[in-house]
Amino acid sequence: MIPEEETAQRRRALRALLAKPLLLTETDADAVVLVRQHQSHLRDWLGRETGWRLHVDAEMARLFKTQPATNPPAPDPTHPARGRAKEPFGRRRYVLLCLALAVLERADAQTTLGSLAEEIMNASTEPELAGAGFAFSLETRAERSDVVAVIRTLLDWGVLTKVAGDEDAYLSATGDVLYDIRRPVLAAMLSGHRGPSTITAETFEDRLAELVDEPIPDTDDLRNQAIRRRLTRRLLEDPVLYYDELDDEERAYLTSQRSAITRRIEDATGLLPEVRAEGIAMVDPDDELTDVRMPEQRTDGHVTLLVAEYLSTRQRARLDELHAFVRDAARQFSTYWRKGVTEPGAEEQLLGIALDKLAALRLVEVDLDLVRSRPAIARFAVGEPTIKTEDAYR
Amino acid sequence: MPTTAQPFAHLSAPNVSLYRDIMRVFARAKERFIVHLRPEDVAAELSRLSDEHLAQALDQLTGWSNLRADPDTSRVTSVEDFHRKRFLYQLTGEGHAAEQALTFYDEMIGRRGALQSVALEDIAEQLQALKVLASEPDPDPAKTHRLLLSLTERFSSLADNAQAFMSSLRRAIDFSDGNVDGFLAYKERLIDYINRFIADLANSGAQITVLITDLERLGHDRLLRLAAQREASDAVPDETEAAAAYANAEAAASDDWDNRWRGLRDWFVSTGTGHPSQSRLLRQAAVTAIKQLIDTVVLLNERRSGRSDRSADFRALARWFAEAPDEAAMHRLWRAAFGLTPARHLTVTAGTVAEWDEVDPPPSTPWQEAPPIRISPQLRKTGSYERRGQPNRIEDRSLARRMLRDQAEREAAETAAARRLLATEGPVLLSELGVLDARAFRLFLGLLGDALAARLPGDTEVKTTTADGSMEVRLSLVEGGAEVSVETADGGLTGPEHLIEITDLTA
Repeated sequence: MIPEEETAQRRRALRALLAKPLLLTETDADAVVLVRQHQSHLRDWLGRETGWRLHVDAEMARLFKTQPATNPPAPDPTHPARGRAKEPFGRRRYVLLCLALAVLERADAQTTLGSLAEEIMNASTEPELAGAGFAFSLETRAERSDVVAVIRTLLDWGVLTKVAGDEDAYLSATGDVLYDIRRPVLAAMLSGHRGPSTITAETFEDRLAELVDEPIPDTDDLRNQAIRRRLTRRLLEDPVLYYDELDDEERAYLTSQRSAITRRIEDATGLLPEVRAEGIAMVDPDDELTDVRMPEQRTDGHVTLLVAEYLSTRQRARLDELHAFVRDAARQFSTYWRKGVTEPGAEEQLLGIALDKLAALRLVEVDLDLVRSRPAIARFAVGEPTIKTEDAYR
Repeated sequence: MPTTAQPFAHLSAPNVSLYRDIMRVFARAKERFIVHLRPEDVAAELSRLSDEHLAQALDQLTGWSNLRADPDTSRVTSVEDFHRKRFLYQLTGEGHAAEQALTFYDEMIGRRGALQSVALEDIAEQLQALKVLASEPDPDPAKTHRLLLSLTERFSSLADNAQAFMSSLRRAIDFSDGNVDGFLAYKERLIDYINRFIADLANSGAQITVLITDLERLGHDRLLRLAAQREASDAVPDETEAAAAYANAEAAASDDWDNRWRGLRDWFVSTGTGHPSQSRLLRQAAVTAIKQLIDTVVLLNERRSGRSDRSADFRALARWFAEAPDEAAMHRLWRAAFGLTPARHLTVTAGTVAEWDEVDPPPSTPWQEAPPIRISPQLRKTGSYERRGQPNRIEDRSLARRMLRDQAEREAAETAAARRLLATEGPVLLSELGVLDARAFRLFLGLLGDALAARLPGDTEVKTTTADGSMEVRLSLVEGGAEVSVETADGGLTGPEHLIEITDLTA
């Protein structure tokens, strides 16, 4: 194989894993083939640069990504689990998801939605869950549809494969659905080094810290390697890495090793380093390797763009100020935007979406009713209009 | 004989094990031709004291008519014994029958479906012998009958074993409680079964199938009739006086033998996909069993591999989610525990990258001062890259169309030329085709493919027309022909020698 082709294939394989850490043969056949072809190279690279484990077998490829629970100074809550309509999971779904996995772990080779739901309900009566105020009875339609949403998530990941039936029929209480359980996938769900059941900490932050804790090596070389892995992981995962979020040791290492680290990432993934005074962004010329896009078309994308533009000219803005801004924009662009944007209260929803996107991309920080812009928001600007001549249409 | 006999009642009584032990003592004694037993004898056999307990049990069994009690009139040596009612016990008819039934039941239940691998061999051997008889003009009836009888016996024992095997496979085995020892024992046994049973079945089964088919061709009915006649003559000693009775008996025996033969046949010979033979079903069942076995091994391995119990892990996580302070915390827990979230990166346009290369901003440049990503003014103004309300221009595709047409014509002309080149004047040998150019060879391959696909198994000659109806090919295998090679511009194609005739139907 010619070296350029090999590099391109390895990049595609690694990108696929970064975008989707669990690749299944049925749904991502090409990607799995690529990963399998280059698995030893990828495994070496990922082990050396990130300390992440790569598992490849006949059915799937799984990259066990781990990241620090707290990205100092601010923890990053912008990566929720999402349902099929991209809606973030709430408490009940998260709990149901874990209970479903616990039940499946003990189940036989096949199960039905009905019996799974029953067993989830039984599992939910555990005193500790009830003590935390969690109650689940399967009686309301909302509860049933949360079960279905969780099951569909499991189907999407390939933990379950459908044999017969339809979830909608279950929702309307007229039918049931039969599934095969895929143990290898089920076994590859958790990515941490430690089993949560072995952790006895009582507070949430302590539990999280222990869950992702990695022992700190006591030689200089290994400590440097650990720092490099932490930095590489964040550059591979996060849109922007700001210097003011790093501790002294990390900042010193990054200052001296910056070009080496970014070059290695660029070689492996094709992401380009955007190195600025305030931090580093590994940006994607292909605009593929992300779950949140900017700029984007249609109403939500447009609102986000306008809010970003508004914030890029000032350090901070209050929420009510931004609400007023969005209300004005809705009137101004009502011909282009979807219906209902000018109704009272619509601006809150629109602004919410926009700020979620901007926060996810680490371009703003929302603190109660104050929104602060972060330096990288200045990287966007409206281009000069280009006048297309008749030739442009030839 | 009392009509209230309940010889099986002791099976559901509280002291069942004692009752069974006592009954077995009597049954064994009867095997030694000993009829009467005293309570002391029974106690000695059971290595226990002849106490009140045993006396009650014997009484009880007598009440259920398993035993009969007769007064014991022999001499006694103590006053107590004299005043005690003394009896001699013996098995009743009912008791004995029940005991035999129970023994038989135990045997059946205890059967583990082990296959005597010799049974298949024997069956094959007997079929072979029958085949020899069948090809004789006047087979010996006694020999035939004996062979058929022993064949029947071997076969029914084989079928019984197979049935036991099937049901032992179907027995649901639940390993969810992690009974590893039980599983390992089962695994050994299953692998044992598979080794012996299925290998034998696959090897001898095929041979038997062939023998059965051969026998049927040679007229197996004749042999079955012989056996039936012989049985009928046994049943009716004087055939002249009872002709009708003889005919009936012969018909009945004949029916029996036909039925047995059908059983044998169905067992080994599949009739179409709808009715797979028993032996085939068995093989499938064994394969399924192996799959289930592997699944279970995988499951056990997974459970062992994790340092912690994964089910407990998920339950712990469920609790953590339930106790998390807010949604933001849950999202962080989700990402940390599952690591399934996608990477997230900002985009950049080719124009901006070019600008960076040109300006080459030093790393100390603030974002504010570096060349930015240029957002399309159209997007900024409307939220969409597309111009609204204005349809896309219609492209003039006449040039492309003309090119396609030219290409199609050129290809058609080339194919016609290749067809003319390929067409033969009458049948020729493959080895005499001469050197083919790339296009002719591709056409030739297509033809060969069509012809070989149309050829039924066993045919040596085939004639077919290509799918587009442009050519006809006739292909016949040359008996004893050597491997030949068709030379082409791209290399040689080797295969058995054929006589080929290609007609260009469009010419």
